[in-house]
Amino acid sequence: MLTEPRKTVRHFLVALAVTLIVGLPSTLLAQEAQRPDPVLEDKLELGKKTYFKRCVWCHGVEGGGDGPSADRLFTRPRNFIQGTFKIRWTDSGELPLDRNLIDTVKNGLPGSAMPPWGEVLSDDEITSVVQFVKTLVQDRDFNDEDEEVYVQNFGKNPWGTSGPYHLGVPQEAIDQGKEIMVQNKCFECHGGEGRGDGNPTMKDDWGFPIFAADWTQCWNFRGSRRNHYDPFNVVRTVSTGLNGTPMPNFKDKITIEDRWKLAAFVNSLCPRKKIDKLTNKPIPDFLIQSRFTVGPVSTDMNDPMWQAPDDDPNIKSRPSDYTGKKDQKWHYIAMAGQITRGQRNFKPKVDNLWVMSNWSEEEQAVYYLVEFHNRFLSIDPAYPDGVAMQWPGQLEELYGAEKPYFIYGDAKKPVDIWKANFMVKDYSDTNAPNPNGYDLDVSVKELVGRGFDAVSEKETLGGVEIVNSKYHQGRVKIMFKRSLVTENPDKTDVQIPTQTFIPVSFLQWSGWDKEHDEHMAISTWYYTILVPDNPASMFYMPPILGVAFFGFQMWLVWMTKRTRRMAAEGKVK
Amino acid sequence: MNNVVKGIILYVVGWAAFHYGLFPQMQPKEFSWVANRYVYFLLFVAYCIGFNLVLKLKPPIALNGLVVWLIGLYFYKAVLYPPIPWTLLITYMMLWTIGTFLYISQDPVTFAEFRKPIVKTVIGEYKMARYIVFIALPVLVGFGTYKSLEPRFEEPVELRTVHPAPPATTKVHGKSYTLEGLQNPFRTDEQDNYKDSFPFLDADSQEYMKSVTEGGTIFFENCHYCHGDQLNGLGMFSHVFNPTPANFVDPGTIAMLRESFLFWRVSKGGPGLPNESTPWSSAMPPWEEHLKTEEIWKVILFEYWYTGWHPRTFDEESSAAGGEE
Repeated sequence: MLTEPRKTVRHFLVALAVTLIVGLPSTLLAQEAQRPDPVLEDKLELGKKTYFKRCVWCHGVEGGGDGPSADRLFTRPRNFIQGTFKIRWTDSGELPLDRNLIDTVKNGLPGSAMPPWGEVLSDDEITSVVQFVKTLVQDRDFNDEDEEVYVQNFGKNPWGTSGPYHLGVPQEAIDQGKEIMVQNKCFECHGGEGRGDGNPTMKDDWGFPIFAADWTQCWNFRGSRRNHYDPFNVVRTVSTGLNGTPMPNFKDKITIEDRWKLAAFVNSLCPRKKIDKLTNKPIPDFLIQSRFTVGPVSTDMNDPMWQAPDDDPNIKSRPSDYTGKKDQKWHYIAMAGQITRGQRNFKPKVDNLWVMSNWSEEEQAVYYLVEFHNRFLSIDPAYPDGVAMQWPGQLEELYGAEKPYFIYGDAKKPVDIWKANFMVKDYSDTNAPNPNGYDLDVSVKELVGRGFDAVSEKETLGGVEIVNSKYHQGRVKIMFKRSLVTENPDKTDVQIPTQTFIPVSFLQWSGWDKEHDEHMAISTWYYTILVPDNPASMFYMPPILGVAFFGFQMWLVWMTKRTRRMAAEGKVK
Repeated sequence: MNNVVKGIILYVVGWAAFHYGLFPQMQPKEFSWVANRYVYFLLFVAYCIGFNLVLKLKPPIALNGLVVWLIGLYFYKAVLYPPIPWTLLITYMMLWTIGTFLYISQDPVTFAEFRKPIVKTVIGEYKMARYIVFIALPVLVGFGTYKSLEPRFEEPVELRTVHPAPPATTKVHGKSYTLEGLQNPFRTDEQDNYKDSFPFLDADSQEYMKSVTEGGTIFFENCHYCHGDQLNGLGMFSHVFNPTPANFVDPGTIAMLRESFLFWRVSKGGPGLPNESTPWSSAMPPWEEHLKTEEIWKVILFEYWYTGWHPRTFDEESSAAGGEE
């Protein structure tokens, strides 16, 4: 055993050596061939122990990416045997550097099941497990004389933007980046607006289906190193490609300056939201605020009433020409597979919804615009796509925090489900990007859930309507409408009061994946509230109280002066 | 230069230098008796007293009162660790304000001195200050009224019982179990003997590790989506659910529970919870619908082996009484 100070010295020397070996060539001698980092034999014992406690469950006993969890994961865990690693600083097809693997282990791969290990394992364990993983590569050899790697030089962020949100890239660079995207046909896989909806037929090196990244959800980018908005991540991926996947490198096709502009464009598509440091996902907006309107609510999704930027206004201020309502915003709803009951869904294709709402005093009706990204929609009428809002059927009977069971309610507390089933008109999943979008063929179903196995269609409908809908470049938009109160003879329709917190949750079915019934994506219970109009007292009370306070101040002056006068006259001390 | 202005400049510059320069240096990752935040705070206070003494500034009592109050605020807001919630901060600051007031009014002379600038503002000897105060305060009151009348809604806070009292018996797969004294049938040996054993590697040679491997396999087929690859409750679906999935690494979960409690929780899941634990929101499946009894026991065995925690145990008398009926 080394004593503590000697250990520190040794760590320092190792760090120095790594810096010299890796750092120098990559900056000064860019694009010089070099040997991959050899396997550090003395680390293998600790590496093996770490691997068989922590990694084997997904990556398998021999590193074939076939651990117990593998079959129920999308994307599957990496198969190490061929030596194909996604996140590298080396050229396409080449082995990674130790520091690349260490980075991946430390930060995890967002959007997949690979968690960040930086806080769980010690640096020594991480270095060691990386060495052990290198020995699991069978088809290639990190110690081989013939293996060469070219470490790329990515240059520096030309705009000097900083994290976490990397705002302040000039619009000109973003616009140029968009042109570069079009010239290089990135849309063929990533879709016309970058939602990854370009190509449904892609496979990885092992023949498993794989999708292009959705650029508008950068928190799911692999290799984003828990620094989701940093354009460097995109520059690296574009420069090196992702080994094992159809993502090629554009090192020779696009100059490094242009790759930074392309990255700026890609990152500009990702809404700035507060990201939870623990889960690396945006923090959900647990209260959906429905905004007040005196007159009727517009059913046109382009009406200013329905306009709000995707960005959190506290992070990125709204554009100066913003015409929408002051407090209107998109609410982020997190979704997961229904893995609780019945036929469980381990591979949901939609992991979030965005919701906006308005209500009208004149119409006595509430509108919810539900939006979500789905790369491909159903082309099989037997499995239509669907999205639903779930409400407590008997809100007035609930006491305190009480709610129905969040999947289809329970025997005592039924739920009211507004479900939109839809097929896209004139659509095929292999169509080229269509800037006009597609219309949807929507049918509304109103369901009553009285328990997981007891979901039935309502006998008397509550009058839920879908007043507008669209599928546009990988994004579904559905606008629900219902009157606040209904006749409700069977006591199954939610009666919507204003100024009250009402539980609501969301269900979603991807027909393309043949999801149906309980095989779906779900959210937990959220709350919605119909925000009332600003009270008139808001406008007359402030001046009244201001004047009253001024009067009080005048009284104070008078009192003080009087006391002083009396003191001067000797009446008081 | 006026002593008051000099003093204010030295306070502001000194605070900035201390807060941005010295404070980060005084918080090393590992605790030290010298370099820590409280020693830092004492140094800062010493600086504040020191420069006044050395330069013989003799600040007016109003400035002293203000500085004392602000130093208290600084301590509670920035120095005290871990940070306190704002409700507590308000309570502390109220006490601190009373203390500051006592300091100001310790005798009639200092109190009169403290009052002097206020009185001068009120009766108009300080003209500028009077205009500012008499116009700004009513405007502020008006603005505050406006803000308080604007309808604002925050997400309601909901409390729940994390570890509810278990029932005396539970029925799983048609068999009834008395939880008191119920043991994990696969805990055939002392867990600590297997600290340096490994799943898969030692599964063939050690019966205990065979159960751990099988339990881990079930965990990574079913449970990691929520409870996480690291058993820390941060699985890939965890952020969706509210309540968030249990973190087994935390000393407040399986480390303080009995295996029979886990057996009941795993078998019955969210729907089996009593009302105070908000069963309607829990995404925990009733695992008896998906797993066999022995699989549930093996997952529990794995969770303890992986995290290194030991389950709470029963005394001998109740151990004898419990188990399958």
